Amino acid sequence: MNDVAPALRNEVTARRGRTRRLPLGNWERALLALLLLLTAGLIAGVPGFYPGFAGFLALTENFLPFGFVALGLTTVILTGGIDLSVGAIAGLAAIVMASLWSGLHVSIWLSALIGLLAGGLLGLVNGLIITRLRTEPLIATLATSFIYGSVGVAIAGDNPPSGFPDAFNRVGTGAIGWLPVQIVLFAILAVLFSLLIGRSTFGRRVVMIGYNTDAARYSGVRVRQVLTLSYVISGTMAALAGIVLAAYYSAVRPDMGDLLLLSTITTVVLGGVSIFGGEGSIVGVVIAVLLLGMLRQGMLIAGFSDMVTTMLTGAILLGAIAVKNLFAGRGTGLSTLLGRFRRSGTAPAE
Amino acid sequence: MPESVAHEAGSGVYRARGITKNYGPVAVLRGIDVTLEPGCVHTMMGENGAGKSTLFKVMAGLVRPNGGTLAIDGDAVSFAAPHEAHARGIYLVPQEPALMPELTVAETMFVGQLPTTTGLVKRIDWRAMRSRARAALDTLSLDIDVGALSRSLSIAQQQQIECAKALLRGCRVILFDEPTSPLTTHEVEHLFATMRHLRDEGYTLAFISHRMDEVLEISDHVSVLRDGMLVDSVARPQFDRTRLLSRMVGREMRTIPRRSWSCATDQPALVVKGLAHGSRFADVGFTLHRGEILGLAGLVGAGRTEIAETIFGLRARDSGSVTLAGEDISTLQTHAIIERGLVYAPEDRARHGAVLPMTIAQNVTSGLISRVRSRLGLMDHADEDRIGAETVRRYRVRCAGTDQTLRELSGGNQQKVVFGKWMGLSPSVAILDEPTRGVDVGAKDEIYALIEELAREGMAILVISSEMEELVRLCDRILSVYEGRIVAELSGEAITPERVGRSYLGHAEAQDGVEVAA
Repeated sequence: MNDVAPALRNEVTARRGRTRRLPLGNWERALLALLLLLTAGLIAGVPGFYPGFAGFLALTENFLPFGFVALGLTTVILTGGIDLSVGAIAGLAAIVMASLWSGLHVSIWLSALIGLLAGGLLGLVNGLIITRLRTEPLIATLATSFIYGSVGVAIAGDNPPSGFPDAFNRVGTGAIGWLPVQIVLFAILAVLFSLLIGRSTFGRRVVMIGYNTDAARYSGVRVRQVLTLSYVISGTMAALAGIVLAAYYSAVRPDMGDLLLLSTITTVVLGGVSIFGGEGSIVGVVIAVLLLGMLRQGMLIAGFSDMVTTMLTGAILLGAIAVKNLFAGRGTGLSTLLGRFRRSGTAPAE
Repeated sequence: MPESVAHEAGSGVYRARGITKNYGPVAVLRGIDVTLEPGCVHTMMGENGAGKSTLFKVMAGLVRPNGGTLAIDGDAVSFAAPHEAHARGIYLVPQEPALMPELTVAETMFVGQLPTTTGLVKRIDWRAMRSRARAALDTLSLDIDVGALSRSLSIAQQQQIECAKALLRGCRVILFDEPTSPLTTHEVEHLFATMRHLRDEGYTLAFISHRMDEVLEISDHVSVLRDGMLVDSVARPQFDRTRLLSRMVGREMRTIPRRSWSCATDQPALVVKGLAHGSRFADVGFTLHRGEILGLAGLVGAGRTEIAETIFGLRARDSGSVTLAGEDISTLQTHAIIERGLVYAPEDRARHGAVLPMTIAQNVTSGLISRVRSRLGLMDHADEDRIGAETVRRYRVRCAGTDQTLRELSGGNQQKVVFGKWMGLSPSVAILDEPTRGVDVGAKDEIYALIEELAREGMAILVISSEMEELVRLCDRILSVYEGRIVAELSGEAITPERVGRSYLGHAEAQDGVEVAA
């Protein structure tokens, strides 16, 4: 696509267009290959990583909550924004649910639903602060993350509720046959988000805003409405992650979401979503969720400390982004680099 | 000459021989021979994509050619970077100079070579810097304060500062890449005065322009490029407007007179009354009729774009009403205004008009995404491609397919996509802000023909343009805007470039002589 500049040709062409319908771009393909290699390597090299198919699938329960957050956060990052309050929202939503259940004896399922709605509401607050008070998303959600987190601590008290009903805990640890419930939930949501971003008019508007907010406004896109909705989605997904985590541990803690934030941003960026907005796909993010999760689990099972694993995650992120920028030719790309070599050489290689 | 202006030893004959440049398989320059002489303004003309800018970039060391030689005063030269070209006395003034907005004029002129005091501790010699900057500006008779911040300068002044920078670096060959398109008529005259001054001092000047009148006015020599080849090169005595135009487009073309027909009706499509906003504009009122092409003439910055953006719901207004087909739309949001049949194609394509990283098809449907067929909330991409392909065909967009991103297209083709994006909605009123900005001559005519065709179909069209020829050619009626107010209305026989120009320029100078024709 980039090797021609047909605009420079003089004949008038109106060839029947076709949009690339391949679900995987180059980045996603590379990630997928990496994921398969890594998984194969871990299965072959780490004893205990593959304890049978069902056990292998159950490994995902450790990291899929990150995936839920990543799906919602992707929507926000595609608009060119950021939501730093996802961890706090996850914690607060789980605590709201647990408190309703233990304090007011509301049914756990109804409590979970209210927890989800609370997440959406907190996201709405983020969105309104950003769009109505014209605050930078970074600052606005940093501030609300402190507020939401503190509220969570206050509600939870010294002795947060635990020991939820088994039926509820199955959301976090149960399986349908050999298929963990979390995987089913994640698969459904991944497909929904993929359609939302790739095929719905909302997703199109999200991407337009991410690439060029002004042009979106001049095209009649209700920018504030779309932005607000994207933060609502992000908040709801964070709440879902908090609730699933609560079911997984059968307990809640106000700081349970703290780990989510940075890992999830890492995942989204590794998945190929541009932090400046516009560019990226849900498929890439889904693969990145699995890639980072598998890597982490593999390392832990192999006996590396959490510290080493985290360090490696950082290195992978840096490496991946460096490679991506080199190949994407964002001005400081590979072509520039090669050009530099050529320039210093004797003969122009072009 | 002040001591600040260094002289190269040579006289400044700059010769390019057989320059070729390819981008991948596409040949942009195919063996250009051109010689720039001292004391001469040499103009390059050609449609967009003809290779003029690339040629200048090659000559100024920004782009490396694939073949050919450059020679200054007979010495073969080759440049790996612009500063090497500067060292050999060649300077390129970009169309929109990138000065450092927070630095003063003097600082910006000396970026990269700040004068220092002698002594143990070298400090910046502010005094020398200011006086040398002043001297360079005086050489060009420029009345610009060297202590002013760069961001306070107009684009015209920034270009003049670039000229002064060229002088400070001792450059004898100055290339201007399409300097006049962002300038007002008045500013162009200032720039030309500077250029003439430099020419008379024996500098070698080269210049790119689309505007025939300017070219005929300033040039001593004109070269015409088409598709990367030099198709004509004539000295002043042989200038011939028709010949140059036909060489540029490669086919016979006459200067087109005002069209004789009008399909303006007396049915109002858009009625604006008493529109005002702060100090931007006030008391703006007019009626646009079905089938009418109404022009808004005026200087850049007169408030015409702000008026259009206010009508389109993008800006707040203090008072006034806007009525579209009998309905008050002044309180509606942009999306609702679009749905009711009023569209606005903004002047700044890259910032407002289009999303350059998105595909042609996606840009075409971006004005009203819901026009793409959806099933269960999912957009039918095949339908979107169909709409895109239809637009590409109808507006003759040169592209490889509707999945190309807009960034890969030339300015004229981008504009056609933006045009198709809005006209595909069959609006009843279209506001076109600088519809042919950055569009080459051939594509301009196509766009004029499209606008006339739409008027014939009954669309009401408001054209904002800074190109006199465009307004005179297209419009049934012209409103002159000066500092946010409509100061004159011209129609019929009264529409001539002179009278339109006088209607606002006269106002600018004398605050009277307002001409209102029937």
